[in-house]
Amino acid sequence: MDEVKCFIPKSLDEALRIRKEFHAKPLAGGSDLMVSYYKGIGIAPVFPFPVMIISNLSDELGTIRKEDDGVHIGALSTPNEIASSMVVPYPVRKAASLMGAPSLRNTATIGGNIGNASPKGDLPQPLILLDAEVVLRSVDGERRMKVDDFILGSKKTALADDEIITGIVIPEVKATHYFYHKIGMRRANAISKLSLSALFDVEDGVVVDFRASSGAAGPKVRRSRDAEEILIGLKLDEVSGKTGEFLSAWNSILSPHAMPEYRRASTRRMLLGFIEEVASGALPGNYE
Amino acid sequence: MARISIDDDVRRNDAIEKASGLARYASDYFFPDMLYARMLRSKAPRGKIRKIQTPVLPYGYYFISAKDIPENGRNALHMISEDWRCFADGDVRYVGETIGLFVGPERSVLESLERNTYVEIEEEEPAISIDDAINVKGGPILEKDDVFCQLYCQKGRDMDEVFGEADKIIEETFETGFQEHVHLETNGAVITKEGEKYVLYISCQCPFYVRKSISIVIGAKDEDIVVRQSTTGGAFGGKEHFPDVLAGPLLVAEYVIGKPIKLIFDRREDMLYSVKRHPSKIWYKSAIKDGKLTGVKGKIYYNAGAYLSSSYVVLQRGVFHANGVYDIPSTYLEGFGMATNTFPSCAFRGFGAPQTLFAIEMHLTHIARRIGVDPVEFKRSMFLKKGSETVTNGHIVENVVLGSMLDDIATASDYWRKSREYGYGSGRGIGMSFYNHGGAFTGNGEQAIIKAHARLKKTGERVTIEVGSTEMGQGFQTTLRKIAAAVLEIPMENVDYPNPDTSVVPDSGPTAASRSTMIVGRLIERCAVEMKERWGEGDFSVEKEYEHPDGHPWDQSTFRGDAYLGYGWGACCVELEVDKRTNEVKVVGIWSSHDIGKAIDEKIVHGQINGGIIQSLGYASMEKMENKNGHFRQESMSDYVIPTSMDFPKQEYFLEDNPYEWGPFGAKGMGELVFNGADAAYVDALERALGVETFKIPLPSEDIEEALRKNGR
Ligand SMILES: Cc1cc2nc3c(=O)[nH]c(=O)nc-3n(C[C@H](O)[C@H](O)[C@H](O)COP(=O)(O)OP(=O)(O)OC[C@H]3O[C@@H](n4cnc5c(N)ncnc54)[C@H](O)[C@@H]3O)c2cc1C
Repeated sequence: MDEVKCFIPKSLDEALRIRKEFHAKPLAGGSDLMVSYYKGIGIAPVFPFPVMIISNLSDELGTIRKEDDGVHIGALSTPNEIASSMVVPYPVRKAASLMGAPSLRNTATIGGNIGNASPKGDLPQPLILLDAEVVLRSVDGERRMKVDDFILGSKKTALADDEIITGIVIPEVKATHYFYHKIGMRRANAISKLSLSALFDVEDGVVVDFRASSGAAGPKVRRSRDAEEILIGLKLDEVSGKTGEFLSAWNSILSPHAMPEYRRASTRRMLLGFIEEVASGALPGNYE
Repeated sequence: MARISIDDDVRRNDAIEKASGLARYASDYFFPDMLYARMLRSKAPRGKIRKIQTPVLPYGYYFISAKDIPENGRNALHMISEDWRCFADGDVRYVGETIGLFVGPERSVLESLERNTYVEIEEEEPAISIDDAINVKGGPILEKDDVFCQLYCQKGRDMDEVFGEADKIIEETFETGFQEHVHLETNGAVITKEGEKYVLYISCQCPFYVRKSISIVIGAKDEDIVVRQSTTGGAFGGKEHFPDVLAGPLLVAEYVIGKPIKLIFDRREDMLYSVKRHPSKIWYKSAIKDGKLTGVKGKIYYNAGAYLSSSYVVLQRGVFHANGVYDIPSTYLEGFGMATNTFPSCAFRGFGAPQTLFAIEMHLTHIARRIGVDPVEFKRSMFLKKGSETVTNGHIVENVVLGSMLDDIATASDYWRKSREYGYGSGRGIGMSFYNHGGAFTGNGEQAIIKAHARLKKTGERVTIEVGSTEMGQGFQTTLRKIAAAVLEIPMENVDYPNPDTSVVPDSGPTAASRSTMIVGRLIERCAVEMKERWGEGDFSVEKEYEHPDGHPWDQSTFRGDAYLGYGWGACCVELEVDKRTNEVKVVGIWSSHDIGKAIDEKIVHGQINGGIIQSLGYASMEKMENKNGHFRQESMSDYVIPTSMDFPKQEYFLEDNPYEWGPFGAKGMGELVFNGADAAYVDALERALGVETFKIPLPSEDIEEALRKNGR
């Protein structure tokens, strides 16, 4: 029978050495890996690569805290931990709170969600809205890159074969209005058909910042800085006049193949709704 | 320990065992030297088998197929007829058809044997949909066409005359989809030998069905096979006949190998390769004169799949419920069970009734709207009453209390006000539906086909229930013990009701057709009455045979007479809101009222109502199972979704006290009834919220978008 080489490191240093030497794939919550290699009842999954179970490392990789350069979320943080941490910005918190069902929200990890890089994964989308960075560590040192650059496509990342994701850093973002909405096939334990985040920062009636990102819409989370620019700098009462232009610029970045009419139309209507609400003077806060 | 009376609040006898994990399901059985089995299935929907090439089998591994059926056996499972083959032989007729069984000690090896087996099939063009079958796509599946079975029934005047006099004629076609049972426990069985007897531990609804169905495969007598029901985690009809499809091949393997063998489906296999609810296409043409419905003509097509299994009976039920709960003066209803190359369709809670009930409810809702009457008002004016003629020219023999059921839920939900205020297209909607379900077997089936027996055995102060009926989560072991204990006036703890073993218990018929409480419960009540009189006699048994109540004429050759011994009745109201940006639907209220004669155990009944209504709402909204070229596209619980507790709100329910003369303590069937109508209430509410008419279920958000677009929204 095929054997799987499996390591259980006791420290991050040990994990990094194993990663370097054997290129063992990290297994955190296992809620993607175990499902992908499931073969049937009574049959142990056979991984065609060595694995290392890193769930013991939560002391080093499991904390969420605010630092000077932003909010640091350890790679082993679970959706439940993220959803209940008030230092985490709203769209990420909300996305985490709507993942799976209670058991999954205590099992899955943010590192796994990003490492898996599924287009249906819920966390990359709001992280990309917030220009979050992923922190990558190897025995040779640490590097950081935007989540948007780290995820290269469906199930493809820039992770080197000696690296581990140690965490995420969300830089300080100023926003007055947040929007997050996930559409699944049902209200719980549902994979996203579509998700959308957006934010406005309005100061003295002027749009200082505006961003939108759309998930489950194609191989990658979609954001368009060019489209966002259309609304930035406008006075609130000018926004309505420019919404059409923004929506068509936005529409053009969505791949028609990956985005059947329903999803495209719903994204459009949600954006329109949020923009109009803010333009008409909605109070600062979180919107769904 | 206290004596029990029928209205006491009791705890289910299986609650702790199941919640704590003590219950033993099929997969929990282990025997020394036990082997495992894995099915080799067809990957093509239709074609000739040219070659089956397995890898070289390691020592101790077997490949069992049609060639292993002994000479005095038959390659057929005897469900209702003998058409479903135990193993495909020469050709395949649907994706998933059993070609063979790999058997051996290691499941990982079996998996690799199956994966590396080469089956060469010369593929033929399949018929997948009802339309394919009507057009005999790919040539006839049966002798001359693709019609497995058909029937019609007629009531009232000549339809041409009725349509000739009409001042409005409305014609519509409705479609309903496949539905997967998603029982908590997947299908599974273990076979072994005890002396000369073959013994099966199997997750099933009907141990005696399994026995009858498979004995012919090895030319054995029924008595040579012992079926012991293993604790069964859900069924919904999916374990009425389908367990035979596991048991038949297992029996052949056991015949050849002689060691204990276990076959357990995983969830993916259970989704892809098990029976489903019949998809339907239902056409109605209605005559309206002076604002009144004068006649309905209907053509009802059910997709039966590749084998008949129970489809003819399912179709009959569909046709007999195709007038809903209404006294329509003239009806002409035809039904067709279509053969296709999809996985055979079979029993599923409601057994053919939900499809036509949904269609007639929506049809009448549309008619009412087009003639400018509130649909509930329109429907109320046509409710069946005691003495009304049914579509099979029989009569309703019981008091029908639909009117007061309607009033209960209309008041609780504030229907009349909301119906007016929400209007049509406001994003909010409230809808109502009415439905029934004929209890027990159709026509004189209980008498002519089943002739159920039940037995009570007294040993000291303890009493054992001996019946073939099964617990499958519906609560029957608790209900039946309660009936026995209440009649005997003894504590429920003194009544045992083990899972049936066909070598011990009498055949009390299948656990299906909402017949268990009504028919078997009545038998046990009668046994208990006699036992109570003779209580002082020491240890003894009382066995009773089914007695058909007088005054229910039925002719099975013409389908005329009283199609059912009595009906359960239901009314359901659903209120919802639609998010106009995303077409997400939020149900905000569910109210129902049911007439089930009498609730033997209100908690269990409540559980059935809750579950049945949610299952029906799932059927209408999110449970989409598509079939492409014979392959189901949904294969896991994340792409075929059923509702969670987050999806629908708490329900308010009413029960009508309307005792049924021939049921225990006045109870009649209810397990299926509660599935039969919430779908139409939901779609009624949804149409009102959206301001458009729809013609098919399920209606997930994408399909709502499409319906809106078709209407230029
Ligand atoms: C029932 C169910 C429901 C689900 N619902 C949702 C949902 O609603 N939304 C959603 O987005 N997802 C959902 N998922 C998918 C899955 O749970 C998530 O993607 C989860 O975040 C994965 O985390 P994990 O720790 O379990 O990953 P694992 O399976 O352990 O790993 C996934 C991948 O990431 C890599 N990886 C993990 N940690 C690291 C690390 N620190 N450094 C480098 N690489 C790493 C692994 O090598 C692997 O390739 C669901 C899954 C299940 C089974």
